[in-house]
Amino acid sequence: MMTRNLNILNEFNILYLEDDDSLLKHTADALDDFVKNVFAVKTSQEAMRILENKRIDVIISDILLENETGIDFLKELQEDKNIHIPTVLTTAHTDTKYLLDAIKLKVENYIVKPINLKELLNTLHDILLPLIQEREIQKNSNIIRTISAITDNKQVEVVKYILDNLNEKDELISSYSDIMQNISISKPTLIKLFKELSDKKILVKTAHKTYKFENKALNNI
Amino acid sequence: MAFKKLFIAIDKVPFTYKASILLFIIIGGMISIVIFSQISIYTIKNDFDVLFEKRTKPIVKLEAIKDTYKINIHDTLYDLQNRNITLEQSRDIIGLGRQIINKNWNQYLEITLSKKYEPTFLNKIIKKFFIIGEQDKNTILKKSISSNINDKHLKINNMLSKILIEFKKENFKETSSLINNVYLEINTVSIYITNLTNYDLSMSVSEKRDTQNIFNTISTILNVLIILVFAFSILFSAIIIMNFKKLHFGLEDAVCAKVEELQALNESLERRIKNEVTNSRKKDLIMFQQARHASLGEMISNIAHQWRQPLGSIMMIIQGFQTKMELGKLTPEFMQEKVNDAVLLAQNMSNTLEDFQNFFKPNRDKENFSLKDCIEHSFELSKYILDEEKIEFILKIKDDVKMHGFYNELSYVFLNIISNSKDALSLKINKRLIEVRVKKSKKKIRINIVDNGGGIDDKILPHIFEPYYTTKYKSTGTGIGLYMSQQIIEKHMQGTIACKNIYYKIKNQDFENCALFAITIPISEADKNDD
Repeated sequence: MMTRNLNILNEFNILYLEDDDSLLKHTADALDDFVKNVFAVKTSQEAMRILENKRIDVIISDILLENETGIDFLKELQEDKNIHIPTVLTTAHTDTKYLLDAIKLKVENYIVKPINLKELLNTLHDILLPLIQEREIQKNSNIIRTISAITDNKQVEVVKYILDNLNEKDELISSYSDIMQNISISKPTLIKLFKELSDKKILVKTAHKTYKFENKALNNI
Repeated sequence: MAFKKLFIAIDKVPFTYKASILLFIIIGGMISIVIFSQISIYTIKNDFDVLFEKRTKPIVKLEAIKDTYKINIHDTLYDLQNRNITLEQSRDIIGLGRQIINKNWNQYLEITLSKKYEPTFLNKIIKKFFIIGEQDKNTILKKSISSNINDKHLKINNMLSKILIEFKKENFKETSSLINNVYLEINTVSIYITNLTNYDLSMSVSEKRDTQNIFNTISTILNVLIILVFAFSILFSAIIIMNFKKLHFGLEDAVCAKVEELQALNESLERRIKNEVTNSRKKDLIMFQQARHASLGEMISNIAHQWRQPLGSIMMIIQGFQTKMELGKLTPEFMQEKVNDAVLLAQNMSNTLEDFQNFFKPNRDKENFSLKDCIEHSFELSKYILDEEKIEFILKIKDDVKMHGFYNELSYVFLNIISNSKDALSLKINKRLIEVRVKKSKKKIRINIVDNGGGIDDKILPHIFEPYYTTKYKSTGTGIGLYMSQQIIEKHMQGTIACKNIYYKIKNQDFENCALFAITIPISEADKNDD
């Protein structure tokens, strides 16, 4: 099994819904070490109150709660309040009748009690990883945009063109004139840029009009 | 040997035939004896009559004629010759004598010739039948003698008339010669008559012999018949008696055999009854075990329910240790707190297990226990399934009673009824309730268990206590729960269990269709003393 970096969890808030006091306490205690905050509640009303006041990234809910079900709570959340938060269901039942509802509600995972903490943490990781990655991408694109705003705009555009036109072998098959047709850049500037990239072994010419993009070379910078 | 063969041959004849043959022989023998004796008596009587009438009487007549000739005629003539009597006197005497002679002779002829004394037709047949030598009757001789006598009569009469006439004429010479002639004739007549007498005598002798012969033959036949009848009667009686004996012994044997058969049958029946009783006991035992096993499944799911939560918590605690350890955050305080929690949880689990173990503990001895405890404990055991189905239960136990018996069995009954109520209630949407009321009267205690699960279908209601009757799927119901409950209440506690649908009020709310299980258990004297 792929080892996951569980440290990514520590900036997220978890809402934990479970009617058994003892399990609620112990699971919250265990989760507390990994995540930013665990909001452990026994009823859906409490959960609603938390949701109104705090930013919640993942909901962990037991299916059978006292006088209600986690499924109903989720339905209310999604249909009435239009709040979509990734959810993990825990249940003592391997019953499929809940499973169908759970799939309809696009529940992320379904954990059968007794809860395996590792499994729960991995599930949380898997749910939160795209969130983190999205944030990372957002951050990077912001960086690029910021850089292009303060430096030569044309060079950034060329780099963007190169990366956009790489084939499956990470090769760019293009001539200077092809690039110049798309981007209004002077030929000497373009040659200078290609030379610079070639020197740093980022874009190596392998044949006529063919350049290989070396991903590894970026790590050395 | 021959007799033996006959005996065996007769012995082979069927019994009814033997009886018929015996009857036939006795009746036939008797009839033939009677007939033969009648015949012989008749014959002998007839012969005797004939002998007397035809032979003896004529002889008397003949003797009378002879005497008349001798005395009346001969002596008168002699007296007349010697003049001892007068002519008139002699004429009278002779006339009288002639009259007597004529009369007797006529009578004789009449007797001898009359058909009256001929042997009867029957006699003739008998005589013919017995082939008694036909006697030579020599009738010609008799006829000639008779005619001679007739002639002599006439002659004598003529001569007498002449004598009397001559004597009147006193022609003595003529008379005396005539008298001498008459004497001669009288002698001749006497001789003839003697002949005739002899003839009759010989006839009677021969007839006597005939009679003797007939008598001999008939008596011989009779004797033979009597002997035969006796012999056959005795033979057949003996055979029949033997048959009876055989029959008797045969019947006795048959009866003995039947008695033995009956005894054997009786024994086998007794054995079978014994077997059946033990079988039924075994069956009961097996069924109770089955019932317990069935409830075992339910109980296990109960245990599972009761264990799932604490088990989850304990697992979480253990995993918490691991992650804390990995993160290096495992502090003694945290450890102490979690261990305490875990021990508490484990203790709870252990208690749960013990509760159920007590229920499944095999019955050893009867024990004293409180009915209230039993009911409460039964609901405690069912609490999780009741909670799961959100069934509320109300216990109204006014009077507690000390029971003496098997705690587990009674508990089983309650658990079973609770389980059935739960099944009924789980199909309902609105409020789910079970109410238990315990009420004590003088001699018995009544436990009413009511649920508002909609009651029991009228078609099902009469069958619910039947074994292997189930409305549930095969996997969930065995159909012996209520049967076992009934057995326990009726056989082990001498009580009754009944079920009906009622209109009932629970918690001030009316419910139309409620199923009521009413258990009545008598309170024994011992239990009363315990109170």
